Formats: sequence, C-alpha cells, structure tokens
Amino acid sequence: MKDHTINIGAQVKRGSAELAILSVLSDGPLHGYEISKRIERQSQGLLRFNLASLYPLLYRMEKRGWVSGNWEGPAGGRQRRYYRLGPAGKRRLVPLREEWGQLFQALHTLAGVTHA
Amino acid sequence: MPDWRVIARKKLGPLGLEAKRQEEIVLELAGHLEDLYSDALRQGRSHAEALHSAFGAAADWDELRRELQLAANEEVSMNHRVKTLWLPGACTIALSGIVLRLLQNPSAPVPHVLWPWHSTELVIYWWWLLSLPVIGAIGAYWSRHAGGRFLERALAVSLPALGMVCLPLLMFPFVLGYDLIRFHSFPFVPMAVLLLGWGVLPEAALLVGGLPFLRGQSGQVAASH
Repeated sequence: MKDHTINIGAQVKRGSAELAILSVLSDGPLHGYEISKRIERQSQGLLRFNLASLYPLLYRMEKRGWVSGNWEGPAGGRQRRYYRLGPAGKRRLVPLREEWGQLFQALHTLAGVTHA
Repeated sequence: MPDWRVIARKKLGPLGLEAKRQEEIVLELAGHLEDLYSDALRQGRSHAEALHSAFGAAADWDELRRELQLAANEEVSMNHRVKTLWLPGACTIALSGIVLRLLQNPSAPVPHVLWPWHSTELVIYWWWLLSLPVIGAIGAYWSRHAGGRFLERALAVSLPALGMVCLPLLMFPFVLGYDLIRFHSFPFVPMAVLLLGWGVLPEAALLVGGLPFLRGQSGQVAASH
C-alpha cells in the first residue's frame, strides 16, 4: 500500500513537471537555466526545479523525442544547450493539458481543490 | 569566479557513460550553476551568498548522480501512438487477414456469395463479415486499454477496411488511365463494387463491434504517464 502511494506521488510529480517543461518550451527554445527560471516565474514561485529534478527529466524527454537539445552560442563564447519542442512533444502537450485539467476538475469535485 | 566545470565534474563523479556524454552533462550543469551564481551577484548578493544560492540548486549530488544514471539507462518505452494505434491496428489487420485467407481457401467448404452487379461480381464472404465485429471489438478494447483516445480507437478498428480500400486505390490512376484509353469510359461500377464490398461493409461490421469501446474513459489516467 505504501509503495503504491509513493509511486503515484512520483508519477504525478513527473507528469506535472513534464507538462510544465513542455508548456514553457511551446513558446520557443530555452536552455536549462531559462526553463527553470521561466517555470518559477510563471508559477509565481510555486514550482521550482533543482538540478536533480530538471536535467534527468530533460534527458528522458529528449530520449522520447519530445524535446531536442542542441549546443548553441557565439563562436568563441559560451555554449549553451538549447531545448526545443519536437513534433512528439507538441502532440504530447495537448493530451497532457487535457488530463491535468480533468484531474483538477475531479479534485475540485471531490475535495473542493481549485487550480490557480 | 569559481571554475564551475571543475566543481561539477568533481561533485558528480563518474556516471558510467561514454566520456563525451559525461562531459556534455558536466558542461550543462556547470553552466546552470554559473547562471545561478551570476544572477545572485547581479541581485546584489555577496560572493558567499551567491555561492550558497548556486550550491543550493544541487544540494544532493548523490541524488543527482543517481537520477542521471537512471535517465541514461532508462529504456525508451513504446510511444503512445504505437501502443494505442499501431499495435491494436496491426492486430485487427492480422486477424481479419487470417480469417479471410482461411475462407478463400478453395478446399474450405465455407459459402460466399458472388453477387453479379452489372458486369462486376461483388464477392461477399459472410463468415468474414460476421467475424469483423469481434475483431473490431478486440482492436477498440486494446486501444482503449492502452490509453487511446476516440480517434486512435476508431482508426485501430478501421485499419483492416482502410487497408482493403487504400491499397487497390493506389492502383486507381493506372486503372483509370488504362480504361479511358482502351474503353473510353470511367470504371464507375467496378469502383463502386470495390468500395462497397471491401470498404463500406467491412468498415460497418468492424465499427459495430468496436462501438461499445469507442467511448468511455481510457485504461490509463494522468498519473500513470
């Protein structure tokens, strides 16, 4: 029972983090630091990523073809890895938004929980 | 300014990845730490506070290493479309093809109807048509269980009929050209017979079986993604 609960919690966390990353990347390419700052700003500080929660997830999403990362930067200057939303990521974003909308709707019905 | 690349490399330790990939990760993490540090300085914080801010983003390097290794070793699972459309669709196509092939065996004493329609014969394998609702139900149920949405379920159900019609239609321009040159006419009746016998009727039969599973909640919820 305990394991099941932990697993659902982890999956929900990962699902919400995926939605947050795909959403900010739908506006254009960003590097890792920009992704974390953008999410933090747009969620008014409610969602914060650290290195352990951001980069492993970005690499997973890249493996699935949801995002693609490329090193870019001025010649001789600092190179940064910019992430772009891939076609699979764009397709994934639509049902993810719907599913989370439904989840909040269900939680609202069940426990009066509303989203911002 | 601290050398963030050296710090990240030392703190992270070996990930068990090829050297180039490991170095890319180190470079990326070092860039993130540097941005945090620089941002903190820009906000007027002291060097010590900026360092604290940067290291705060990676308080647990062991966890970071573990997560990076897990991500690197994670097998890419089948993507959503494969699970919800192509696998159930391949199943319905295979089942439909097997049943039809069995019925087309000349030694099989299974009746079929040759319905002469003008100059063309419409072949109807009744037992095949009767088997299609079951096959459609299997495809729709599979797709729904895998988390397929309405369109994916409907396509998984319809693939056998679509295949039956689309493949001959690829030949259509050649047939049309040949008939126009040879007979100076458009083959309306054969085309209509083809569409009816191998498209419309099978599609209807498949949908009848799949209908109960085309609507309703999929087998996976948001939390399982």
